[in-house]
Amino acid sequence: MIFDWLIPSLIATLLVLAAIGALRRVNFWRAGQAEKVDMWAGLLAMPKRYLHDLHHVVERDKYMSRTHVATGGGFVLAMVLVILVHLFDIQSRILAWMLLAALGMMFCGALFVFKRRLNPPSRLSKGPWMRLPKSLLTFAITFFVLTLPAAGILPESLSLSNIGLTLVSLVLALLVLLSLGEMLFGMTWGGPMKHAFAGALHLAFHRRPERFGGGRSTGLKPANLGGESHGVAKPEDFKWNQLLGFDACVQCGRCEAMCPAFAAGQPLNPKKLIQDMVVGLAGGTDEKYAGSPYPNVPVGKASGSPQEIITEGLVSADTLWSCTTCRACVEECPMMIEHVDAIVDMRRFLTLEKGDTPNKGAEVLENIIATDNPNGYAPGSRTHWAADQNLAVMKDVKKAEVLFWVSDGAFDMRSQRILRAFVKLLKAANVNVAILGDEERDSGDVARRLGDDATFQSLAKRNLATLAQYKFSTLVTTDPHAFHCLKNEYADFDQAGALKDVEVLHHTTFLNRLIEQGMLQVDRFKGGKVTYHDPCYLGRYNGEYDSPRALLSSLGIEVAEMERSGYRSRCCGGGGGAPITDIPGERRIADMRMEDVAATGAELVAVGCQQCTAMLEGVVEPRPQVRDIAEIMAEHLVEQLVEHTVEGAA
Amino acid sequence: MLPKVLALVSIGRHPQSGRERRAEQDGRAVEMGLCLQERQLMHLSVAHAGNADSSVLRQYAGMGLSKLSVLAQQANEDVLSPLIDYVEAQQASMVLMGVRSEMGQSSGMLPYLLAERLGWPLLPRVAEIQSIEEGVAQVLLALPRGQRRLVSVALPFVATLDNAAKAPRQTAFGPGQRADIEVINTTSIADEVAAQWQFTPAKPRPKRMKVVKAKTAADRFKAATAKPVGGGGKVLKNETVEEKAQAIFDFLLEEKVIR
Amino acid sequence: MTEHEDILRRDPRAEWIARNRLHPLHQAMTQVSAVVRGPSGLIRKNPHQVGFIGPNGIKRIDRLAGNGQTATGAKRRSSAAQEVTLPLHQVVEPNAYIIVVPDMAGGRLTAQDKDILGLAHELAKQRKALNADENLAVVAVCFGESKEAQFDEAGVDRLIHLLSAEYEGFAPEKRLQALLQIESIYQPKHWLFPDSVHGGTDLALRLAVKLDERPAAQAWQVSIDTTTCRAASGSQDIQRETPRILMILEECGQAIDETRHEVLPLALEVESSVEVRLEDKGLIAVDPNAVPLAEAEFILSAGNGIHNWQQFHDCAALLGATEGASRVAVDDGYMPRMRQVGASGTWVTARVYVAVGISGAIQHMQGIGQCDKIVAINTDAGCDMVKRADLAVIADSEEVLAVLCRLAQQHTGKTLEQTETTSEVSHVA
Ligand SMILES: Cc1cc2nc3c(=O)[nH]c(=O)nc-3n(C[C@H](O)[C@H](O)[C@H](O)COP(=O)(O)OP(=O)(O)OC[C@H]3O[C@@H](n4cnc5c(N)ncnc54)[C@H](O)[C@@H]3O)c2cc1C
Ligand code: SF4
Ligand code: SF4
Repeated sequence: MIFDWLIPSLIATLLVLAAIGALRRVNFWRAGQAEKVDMWAGLLAMPKRYLHDLHHVVERDKYMSRTHVATGGGFVLAMVLVILVHLFDIQSRILAWMLLAALGMMFCGALFVFKRRLNPPSRLSKGPWMRLPKSLLTFAITFFVLTLPAAGILPESLSLSNIGLTLVSLVLALLVLLSLGEMLFGMTWGGPMKHAFAGALHLAFHRRPERFGGGRSTGLKPANLGGESHGVAKPEDFKWNQLLGFDACVQCGRCEAMCPAFAAGQPLNPKKLIQDMVVGLAGGTDEKYAGSPYPNVPVGKASGSPQEIITEGLVSADTLWSCTTCRACVEECPMMIEHVDAIVDMRRFLTLEKGDTPNKGAEVLENIIATDNPNGYAPGSRTHWAADQNLAVMKDVKKAEVLFWVSDGAFDMRSQRILRAFVKLLKAANVNVAILGDEERDSGDVARRLGDDATFQSLAKRNLATLAQYKFSTLVTTDPHAFHCLKNEYADFDQAGALKDVEVLHHTTFLNRLIEQGMLQVDRFKGGKVTYHDPCYLGRYNGEYDSPRALLSSLGIEVAEMERSGYRSRCCGGGGGAPITDIPGERRIADMRMEDVAATGAELVAVGCQQCTAMLEGVVEPRPQVRDIAEIMAEHLVEQLVEHTVEGAA
Repeated sequence: MLPKVLALVSIGRHPQSGRERRAEQDGRAVEMGLCLQERQLMHLSVAHAGNADSSVLRQYAGMGLSKLSVLAQQANEDVLSPLIDYVEAQQASMVLMGVRSEMGQSSGMLPYLLAERLGWPLLPRVAEIQSIEEGVAQVLLALPRGQRRLVSVALPFVATLDNAAKAPRQTAFGPGQRADIEVINTTSIADEVAAQWQFTPAKPRPKRMKVVKAKTAADRFKAATAKPVGGGGKVLKNETVEEKAQAIFDFLLEEKVIR
Repeated sequence: MTEHEDILRRDPRAEWIARNRLHPLHQAMTQVSAVVRGPSGLIRKNPHQVGFIGPNGIKRIDRLAGNGQTATGAKRRSSAAQEVTLPLHQVVEPNAYIIVVPDMAGGRLTAQDKDILGLAHELAKQRKALNADENLAVVAVCFGESKEAQFDEAGVDRLIHLLSAEYEGFAPEKRLQALLQIESIYQPKHWLFPDSVHGGTDLALRLAVKLDERPAAQAWQVSIDTTTCRAASGSQDIQRETPRILMILEECGQAIDETRHEVLPLALEVESSVEVRLEDKGLIAVDPNAVPLAEAEFILSAGNGIHNWQQFHDCAALLGATEGASRVAVDDGYMPRMRQVGASGTWVTARVYVAVGISGAIQHMQGIGQCDKIVAINTDAGCDMVKRADLAVIADSEEVLAVLCRLAQQHTGKTLEQTETTSEVSHVA
């Protein structure tokens, strides 16, 4: 009978097609560059990574997390059982009942997916994704019906005799074709279900396995210098597992919803960018893309292939330069895709190979090369700000407990106020501290984010060589960008171990320890309402959300949190060299952030970064005041403690 | 075959750090040469007389040069003769260079000597080459404050570039590293005259004080009561709008920006 | 002021110059003001002497005359009558020369030119001390039309004025030829040029190459035996023997201010045989607004405090200023991006920068760090721009600009339409 062989052969055919598709897809990824991955460990860790880490992210949207567990879990279980029951025809009531249960669970999940799709938020992609809940429901219902006989609910003989039932079975076969086509064929041939296949493998072969299990891995990977080309010019220049990662995207648009550049109307949408990478790795155009475009850029005109230069037709350079590297997208992505890595990889090509860093980019890089600071100031004037600070310089003292990394704020009058405030606090706590003075150089942060890894690496090596000459156990800095470089990115170049046993800290962390140890005493803050802006390079890059808040509460401040704070903090617009490349949008990111601040009713916004201070103070008045936490602390320092400790020390 | 333009580059000096860099005007010479090449008017080659190991040469090459020739020279040797030989060997019909080098004597003589010895005319402070037709170039010279003068001249010629010329394009690390640096050995002659000179770090040049040689009592009084320069400006608050505007206008007249 | 002081004294020398059309000062003395005193002290007007003939043969009126600092003639003389008449420095039958080739930018001696004339006299004095027989005259070589009226007070003993049209504009080959002629006739002890972008450097180098001399470039300390020059973009000094040809930096001499000089003409016949290969096609009319922002001399810059944009543009056109803007004005779409001044825009070098309704955020200030003079128009007396300004006006921008527009119109006698269609020089038919 038709029925007997039709369904199994359909399943078998689709499985074969899926396998072919899978091989084809794998070949796309293999076009990428080699990258060492511990395959077996990854595969073994995959279920845990899915259940724990991925769900940790999905969990932020409770609705979706439950829906996904039901639908996804139901489907995986059902699919295995379908193969056993319907393909291999294993006669087991227990299996059949299990299958029914799995399908039931999947059905419930799919109903919620369906509901979400009735009136989807703008961040979700439409197109084939609108079809998916229907396919899921069809799959669940069809196989439910098909499994009823096996479960002994419908007599098997019925299906053999009745002509009407033959018709029904034909219809069922068609439905099987449609739904299973979506699930299996679509999975490996580029349908929405691709995310399950690629996503699972992406979790297994992730380029930053450190991120799983609660870890953090935010430092950029060093570029190989000296080859025939630098950075990523074509999709095939990505590492193979980066390509795989792009394929894992579910087009959920959470990244888009968080992206400050997108919100400011700059031509960047991280979701579209990842989808364009998918277009690039598979070849074709973006015609079928059904989500929000890059603001003010029409969809359908982009095309690419693994061997074509990305910025010549697939993605415009402005898109890449709009990114502030705030990592909001990466933080939010349930598939743990690494947008920032990809963007900087492509920037590396533009800067190192094309010499095409927009606006002030070229000038800034040239300055960094010629003067070790982005504004081209005389390197010999780096310590002028500290002329009256009576600070020990490493060159003279050779060792100190704490090395204060001053950063390029040394050249900027506004930032100098933060530096002085911090020094005042250090002195009050009688910390044994020294600075590098004129031996310090730019950390290389800006050069690296602008794609000039050659200059970054040169700075890193020279800075490390300087640091290696001195003894200190703690390095502390008021600049989260330098903090990130020193803490997370210098290790790749630190052969001599200059920072090996050194604890690198942000000043808020350090100050908080001083407060906890009672080394510092501060008065109660008497001003109005205060909110706190989490700098990206302190928060998302380094997970420090608590110390700044603890410091504020030590001042008796109850932080009026902004809607977007902590790991969801919205960027000030100052990172990644964005103020330098200055890609026009409809609004300024800093203006939006200031609106967030104003919405809390705060009169003062506390920050922990000189760059955030500059960006937020660049918003036209009237607006809330902007202060670094060190400044607020210094203003409220209880001074008599000083004499005490100085005597003690003397 | 397109006529050849030769851009001569030197090692610049960053005004703040004193470090070697791409010289501003020489970079512009390369930029102008590249533009002429992109417009298919001329074919560019770039040469440097000096030390072939300087990393700055890679910065010039990073502008998109596949090759850069170096006439190997010691620091205090006379570069003129090797350069002339080179220009002649290259059969160049235009030489572009900076007005003054950022290192060394900076006398600005080299382009003039080169032009004289080649018997070519020299165009000083070029901002732009508008066109080259039938061997005649229309050239814009830069005058102070954005003014321009049009000059027409037949090839071949030597031109020095003003800072008003198009800024040099960004230098890219990759192409710069891969470019071929061709070293040409030259016979060099030491500069004996300059060897007699003393080079010392620049002494600060005192800003000249306005010496008031008052001739009348009134002048002396004025000089004594005049506000010292740079001690904060004048603020007009309570005057009428007419008076305020008149004050600004007089200021502009005094500064000679209104003619 | 007593009546006595108002008595008009005859100045026989001035009258003689006024009569003598061939006198090098004739033009300068007579064009400044068309007013001439007759022997009886009556004012006589010579209607033919209004204005002067410009380089392309068109008659022009210099309206600044009588207003500008260099204004002289009758007006100046009458008040100068109270001052001591400066003693005349005479050189009778000179037997040695120092030649100064001033830039004469805009037809007048520049401050640098005057300093160099002073330096020439200083050198002459030093030479005289060594060799009392030397009777040295400082000669100025002046090419083309000149509006300079104070060669005497600037220290010019002798003047070679080459008036022929072929020296006008950009004519380095012709000028060089004349200099070579001077060299062969007068064998000057020194040639002094301003080291400047106005042509001094260019001409000096051309001459040096021809005479096979090693000139002193960027010289800033000069005595008769040693000269100190800046080198290596100002980071080094070269000390060397003083050569014959010197290019002098700004403010490196003390301009003459206690003597008058004879300004006697020296004749020079120049055979015009030189081949001219650089053909001057003239100045290109540059609309102030087309001047690259970084090079502009005078910028009128708009910020968030501008509410009438048409008025702002009109005012810039009437004043002949290049337009600039703060980032807010650009962000709000009132001004194009290329007009933005500041950290993420252009760093400007204007001599005068007028900030209208700009608060003076640090990023904006970075862009105007190299400006000479700042004028602020702002309603907020406490803002940073006002603190930085050399002249600040606390008022509404629209009101002030309105009066400024009117003043500019009165001054030039032009309406907006005219400023947009005619070039900077007013033509008198
Ligand atoms: C990274 C970064 C880069 C930046 N780069 C630049 C840059 O390159 N250039 C730049 O300009 N800015 C830049 N900014 C922005 C800068 O911080 C300020 O926001 C901006 O300069 C303010 O512009 P404004 O003075 O026009 O506006 P406002 O600050 O709003 O000032 C307007 C002024 O006009 C006055 N005013 C209001 N009404 C009137 C009236 N009727 N008559 C007279 N005066 C009036 C007010 O008193 C006020 O002083 C940058 C900011 C950042 C963060
Ligand atoms: S990149 Fe990540 S967050 Fe963005 S749409 Fe894709 S899966 Fe969602
Ligand atoms: S890093 Fe920030 S700015 Fe860049 S794409 Fe992601 S969210 Fe957008």
